[in-house]
This record gives sequence, C-alpha cells and structure tokens, in this order.
Amino acid sequence: MVSHAIPKTYAEALEILKDGTHRVVAGGTDMMVRNRAWAGLPPAFDKPLLFAFNLPELKYVRVDEKAIYIGSMTDLETLLHHEDTPSLLREVIGEMASPAIRYVSTLAGNIVNASPAADSLLALYALDAQIVLESVEGKRVLPIEKMILGPGKTVLDHDEIIAEIRMPKSSFTHTAFRKVGGRRADAITKVGFIGCAVVDDGIIRDLRLIFNAVAPTLVRVKSVEALHIGHAIEDVLDDIETITHHYAEHINPIDDQRSNRAYRKETALELARHFIKTLQ
Amino acid sequence: MSNIHHSVPKIDASEKISGRMAYVADIRIDGMLHAKTVRSTEAHARIRDIRVPTLPEGYYVIDHRDIPGKNVVKMIFEDWPVFAVDKVHHIGEPIMLVVGPDKRVVQTLVDAIEIDYEPLESVFSMTESVIHYHYDKGDAEAAFKEADRIIAHEYDTGYQEQAYIEPQGFIGTYEDDRIHLIGSIQAPYYVKNAVIETMACAPEDIRVVQATVGGAFGGKEEFPSLIGCQLAVALKKIKKPIKLIYEREEDMDTTTKRHPSKTRIEGAIKDGKITALRTHIGIDSGAFIGLSGVVLSRAIIASTSAYTVDNLDISGDVYKTNTVPNGAFRGFGAPQMIYAVEMFFHHVAKELGVDVHAFRLKHLAKQGDRTSTSGLFRDPILMPEMIERACAMSDYHRKRKAYADPNVYKGIGMSWFLHGCGFTGSGEAEHIKAKVTLEKLASGLVHLRVAAVDMGQGAKTTLMKVAAETLGLPLERIVYDNPDTDLVPDSGPTVASRTAMVVGGLIARAAARLKDEWNDGEHQTITEQYTQPEYMAWNQDTFTGDAYPAYSWGVNVVEVEVDKTTLEVQVKNIWSTYDVGKSLDDNIVIGQADGGTAQGVAYGYLEVMRHHRGKLLQKNMTDYVIPTAVDMAKTETELFDNPFAFGPYGAKGAGELTLVGGAPAVALAIEMAIGERVHSIPATPEYLMEVLKNAKR
Repeated sequence: MVSHAIPKTYAEALEILKDGTHRVVAGGTDMMVRNRAWAGLPPAFDKPLLFAFNLPELKYVRVDEKAIYIGSMTDLETLLHHEDTPSLLREVIGEMASPAIRYVSTLAGNIVNASPAADSLLALYALDAQIVLESVEGKRVLPIEKMILGPGKTVLDHDEIIAEIRMPKSSFTHTAFRKVGGRRADAITKVGFIGCAVVDDGIIRDLRLIFNAVAPTLVRVKSVEALHIGHAIEDVLDDIETITHHYAEHINPIDDQRSNRAYRKETALELARHFIKTLQ
Repeated sequence: MSNIHHSVPKIDASEKISGRMAYVADIRIDGMLHAKTVRSTEAHARIRDIRVPTLPEGYYVIDHRDIPGKNVVKMIFEDWPVFAVDKVHHIGEPIMLVVGPDKRVVQTLVDAIEIDYEPLESVFSMTESVIHYHYDKGDAEAAFKEADRIIAHEYDTGYQEQAYIEPQGFIGTYEDDRIHLIGSIQAPYYVKNAVIETMACAPEDIRVVQATVGGAFGGKEEFPSLIGCQLAVALKKIKKPIKLIYEREEDMDTTTKRHPSKTRIEGAIKDGKITALRTHIGIDSGAFIGLSGVVLSRAIIASTSAYTVDNLDISGDVYKTNTVPNGAFRGFGAPQMIYAVEMFFHHVAKELGVDVHAFRLKHLAKQGDRTSTSGLFRDPILMPEMIERACAMSDYHRKRKAYADPNVYKGIGMSWFLHGCGFTGSGEAEHIKAKVTLEKLASGLVHLRVAAVDMGQGAKTTLMKVAAETLGLPLERIVYDNPDTDLVPDSGPTVASRTAMVVGGLIARAAARLKDEWNDGEHQTITEQYTQPEYMAWNQDTFTGDAYPAYSWGVNVVEVEVDKTTLEVQVKNIWSTYDVGKSLDDNIVIGQADGGTAQGVAYGYLEVMRHHRGKLLQKNMTDYVIPTAVDMAKTETELFDNPFAFGPYGAKGAGELTLVGGAPAVALAIEMAIGERVHSIPATPEYLMEVLKNAKR
C-alpha cells in the first residue's frame, strides 16, 4: 500500500517532497484518468501522491507593471474569468475541455503532463511563460520551452513542485488561435495554432508562431520567426510558400486515432499562412 | 380525431433527471460476487494452452466446459459461442469469466491468466462471403440493354458505435434451482430463450427482468444474450449472486456496432430516367454472423429508398472477418443503403446535367407503385407535400443556388427516405407471434403486461397513453412495470420500429375489449395476439411481396458551413418533416427526431471508428467523437398526419426513421460546400482534404 499526503501548508508540502518519493497531483484531470481502475476500485497509483490542489499559498493571480504571476494551483475556470488573465490565454482556456474539467484543472498540471496536444501550452509558449520550480533547496526559473522535454517528460525534479507561472506583459497588433478538434467542444486537439504579431507601418516587428499536436513537443521556432521580423509584410507575403520549407523538419505529426499525418501537417501550415495573410 | 398526440410529462422523466432511478450497476445484493471476462488478445488463433493460477478460496473460473447445454448464443445463425473453445476469432472474444467477492483479487487473477496462442491467418477485408441474397424486380437485364447510358458509383460507410450512456451489464441470482437475471436489455425474451438453450433447462427455470435501461439503440438487442448466457452458466455453478457490468472501454472494444459497408450501384438511364438499378452491397459482419443476415435483408430491400424504379437486380453479401462482431443498430442496414441511393441519384442527375430536384421528383414513389420487392405501396404517400414544406422551412431552393458559388463554403443537402415498420417480411407473424395482456385488478388499476422495454425512447409513456385513451381512464390508473418474464407474455423484442405500431396496436385492441367487458371490482385479464394484415404476402426465398406492413417517410434538410482552412464542418441547421402515421405524443416523437437526426447526421460527418488488424482504435468516449450540445445544430421538425389502419390511433414506426436520412443529407450539404463529390462517410476533414487533393490532380 502506498500512503498519500494531503499537506495543509506549502512549507509542509515542500518538506514531504524532499525525499523525492511523492508525485504531486494538482487537479488530477489527467492523472486520475491515466491511473483509472475497474469501477468501484480506487485508482491504481504506483507512487504515493501529494495532493496540492487545495494549498492556499498556491492559489493566486497577481500583476505588476512587468508581468502576471499565477499561483500554480489556480484552476482554469478562475483564470477564464480573471480580469488580469492575458486575453490570448483566456481565449484558449475558453475552448478547453468542459466546464467541469476546467474547475479542477491547472496550468501546472498541463505543463507536467506535457502533452503535445495541450492547448494551454500554446498560450504559454506564445506569451514567453516562465515556470518557477521550487524545492526545499530553493527556486529556479525556466522558460516554458526549456521546461518540457517530450510527451510526459519535463525537467521537474522528484523533490520539486511548480510554484508559479509568470508571463511578461505583452501586446500585439494581431493574434489568432485555432483549435482543431474532432468536435466543437470537449475535444482533444488534432492540430492547433497560435499566431501573434506586432505590425507597425507595414513592417513586422514581432512574430510568434506556435503549433501543437504536430511534434513530440509544441513547436515554436524562434529562428524562423526571426527571419520575418524587421521585414515588410508585402515581402513576407510574396515569399509565403517558403514557410512550408522552414517548418519541414519541425512539423512532424503522426497518424493516430484522432487524425492523420497529412491532415495535421497541411492544416498546421495552412493556419500559419492564413495568419500571416491577415497581417496586411 | 383523437388528441392523443398532445404531450404529457414522460412518466419516468423526474426519476431519471433527479438521479433517483436505479440502473443495474446500482443494484447491490448481499454476498454478491463480481465477474470479469478474460478475452482474446488475438484476431484469429488456436488456443494452445491456458494457465490459470491457483484460485484462492471463493474464486472461480467459468469457461465452455461449465456449459450444460449448447455452447452457442441462440440467434438466427448458431455460430456465436458463449465461450471460446479451442479457437478465437476476434480480439476481445470471451474465453472465460473470473468470479469472486473482491474486485481487486478478480482483476489480479484476470491479469495472471496466461494463454498461449498459435496465430492463424486473419481476414480483415470483405472477401469471405457467408450469406448471399439476391432478388429481381421487372427485367433489369433488358433495361440495361436498352439504356442510353449506364452510370456506376461506389459508396462506403464506416463503423458506428451506439454510444449508449449506460454500458452493458447484468446481475443474477440463483434461488430454488432457478436462474434470475436482471439486465440492461432491449429484448427480455431473446435473453430468456438464449439462456434456455445454453443451460438445456426448462423455460420455467429462467426468469429475466429488465432493469431500467440507459440507452440501447439496438446495441442491447442481441448482445445481452451473450452476457446473459455466460452469467447463467456461472450462477448455476457457483449458486451465489453475481454482477457482471462492462466498463466503457470493454463495452466499446467488444460489443456489436453498425456494419461497415461497401455499395456499388449501376444505373441504366433511358430518356432522362433511371430505368433499372443493379446494386450490390457488402456488409462486414465481423467474426460471427449473429443478426447480419437480417441486417443485409433490410439493406437490400431499401435499395430504392423513397423512389420507384421498375427494374432491379439487387444483391448483397455478408462477409466474415476477424473483427468484433457487428449487429443491430437503429436503422438496421437501411442507413448504409439509403445513404448510397441518395448520393447516387444526385450524382446521376449531375452527370446528366439536369436539375437534381426535378430529377428526383420524377422518381419519387407514389401510392399504388410497386415497392422494391414488388409489393404494393397501399397507403397514401405524403412526400410531395412533405418535401415542399421542408423546402419552404429551409429556404432550400434559394440557398442551393447561392451556395453553388465555388467561393462560398456553405452547402445545403436534402434527403428523402422511408423506413419499413416492424420486422421484415413474415417475421412478425411467423417468428414473434406477439402477445400482450392487460390485467385489471379488482382495485381498478390496469397493468400492461408486455415485454416492451423503455430504453429512453418513451415506450412506457406512449403505450400507457394508448391504454388510458382507449379505456377512457386517467394515466394514473395504468401501471407499466419493467418487464419480468415471469409476469409478461412475449410481446416481442423492442426493436425494428415495431413497439408503438405492433405492441401499441395490440394494447389498443385489448383495451377496447376490456372496456366492453369491464366489470367494476372484478379481476379481469385480456390477452391479444398479433395477426398479420391479410394483404401481407411475402416470399423470403425470392424477396418478393410486401416486406413491411407499413412505411414511415421523412425528409431531412441539413445546412453546413465548411472552414476553408481546416475543412472542419459545422452543421448550422436541420429541418425535417416526417410521416409517422399519427404521433402518440408530440414531444416524444420530436425527441426521437432530434436524437435520431443527431445520430444520423453525426454518422455522416463526425463519428469515426476504425480498426487496425482487428484492434479498434477508438476505445473510449474521448476518442470516439459524438456530437455535444455545442456541435448539435438547431432543429425544426414538423409531423404530418397520415393514419395507418392497423396502428393504434394510426401510429406507424418512428424510432429508426429519424436516423436513416441524416448521413446523406449532411454528405450532400458538404459536397455542395466543397464542390467535390463525397463517396465515403464519415466525411471528416481528413477525408475532405484527400478528396480536394485528388480533384486538383
């Protein structure tokens, strides 16, 4: 029998995590499903769990002039309705899962679950999110793309917990979010896209293109974005077909029970081209 | 004219909506054991050896050696074993049950059982025919010889999963040498008769009771007989209460689905009309035939849908493959064929360069026409009015012109269809011989003794209304408990759009007699038995005559918008007109219409299920996508009165009709939106991308 922990305070949680034997559960919306058992039996976990969802110290949303700071156990429904939530993140959350799921799921859970199809990660990559990890040893802060290594794989150590998600304040002249799922609600993404740009006087000053469900991790290639920044939108449009070539090695989707490689690849690129065409 | 169509609150609505209703999984009996099925992991293999670990005290395995009677689930074809013997024919085929008090231990034992297989060659393509049917009408050969032109097309359809909200399950007890089964079922007597065969026992040794059913859609027609037989074998051996409830994934992985199909239609065209059709449909039965032959019958009989074609050469085959067995599903073979026929008529009109609507109207069936099987359309056909009304409701003609513009990614599609009510041919008179009893207690309460199951479609409310209306009593004086084979006669399975028409008709007859013979304070019992309308004549060998006593008719119009970038389809609106004879309760019929249309339209564009070498890829409700409320379009439905002489108050079938036209209507709408032809459903964005790519080439 494994024995699970329900700490009362954040300090107690860090202390329990110290020996690296516990696995942190936030809302559990992925973990409970993954470890499901025959109805009537408790879910089967091979490691003791630490239930962090109700830790009061990790439920907050704060802002200052530079950034927004989200406590890791803040549920998505709260973020959906919070006035300080960046509009792009709010838009993504609005299309995620179902209300019942959103009331218990968290950004931290999405990050550690590290699904290539995660919707919220699209916004976190687009908004240059920084992830604060903490253990009794101290804190470290990592950009989201350094945090996630592959499907279900992150750099989170066994004694660490995600404490906070930070996003610097940003403003764009153009944004687009598309989630393509099997249906219009409560669907796992087949292919998804976020585009953000700052266009000033016909010149692209900032461009961010993020794709999900097309590779083992989300795809954001800053070197490709940089190729377009500083250029006139007309020139970029003339050359729009090269985007296929630029992403050839990055967008490598699979065939699975939800969609196929050809559709995912074509649609991802088409969404990007379509976004760039709207920048005029 | 009766006002019976005025809606009343469904009699079970409050208990279901409030969550008070107990389903089979909610039933607990002291000392009950839990059963779990050990299943094949191979598509086709010989079982070399099975190693069962030492069983703790109080734990059992049950397999084919425990069966006292025949190791076969009694249906039409006796090819479906209760438990595998030395061979398995599909992934998920049941081999044995593990039974015991603690679910954890049961699960551990299931996981510890080792089975050695010797793989055999598997068949996954439709190549091995096990049933072939053929019929003719007129002289198709001559018509093809005289044709100006011959046009042929192929269409195919995928699996569809019933996706009832409550998985399959039973609980059973063994007392006084009797087996008592309570289950989520559509056909109490199918289960009872199957168990009698497997247990080689007397009918009085078996009692089957229907638990409240949380959805069925045909999925609980024949499949529960398999679980019922397995549980009966376990009960006889262990003699303690046992519960056997499927998990969602187990249910999706191993229970029957709608048959995938391939249809080829060849049409002879003469003077701008289709003078003959030569059609072949193949359906994939999966590993066992089960009801596939009857599904094939309904499919081939639907070969002209709502049209009349004078010369026909129609055939079909059931193909066996090493995949999960397919079976009954709302529509029962008709959705596959009617989709193909509707697409074909459109495609022919386009190839002839004529107006599709006018072309179809020229072929529309009329009263007095010969049916596909040379029977007679005896009753009035209201389709011209129903079509006109549907066009007006949807603004069809204006929209189809506006959406013809290739830059507009919108489309509107219309389907016309019929559905034969009740069993095909003489099944009702020769096999079912339905009986119903009204039992009036001394207190004045009238019990409906019928085997009909309310699985959400409203059978209880509807049939109680028929009895109350006929007797001139308030609804509260009518009692309709879930059927118990100890108490009710066999009024037949709750399938084939027969319940309102056939069972309801018998109830109306019995109620009329009871009213005549009514004696206050006296216990009275009235029984009525089905007799076929005298005009019915059917030859099963040649597929000629009246295949059904009556037909219900429908028109669906579906409007879609296709996203140019992602090719996602959004269904914007659905308009329908239906002739179900006479509505016995408007809300209930509209409920059937909304649900049936949602299921039918989703079959055409949304619901994807495929297998890879016999293993289903969509194994839960996350991967198998059915429409949510957000996906469901606004619906507008109108009912047309056209009373049928033999139905209660004129009612015909309504349950399946509302599903069969959804797929062609949405497929035609998508076709208009993308400007290319759809030959395969579900028409997913992935498929549409392929279609557009091929068109460019």
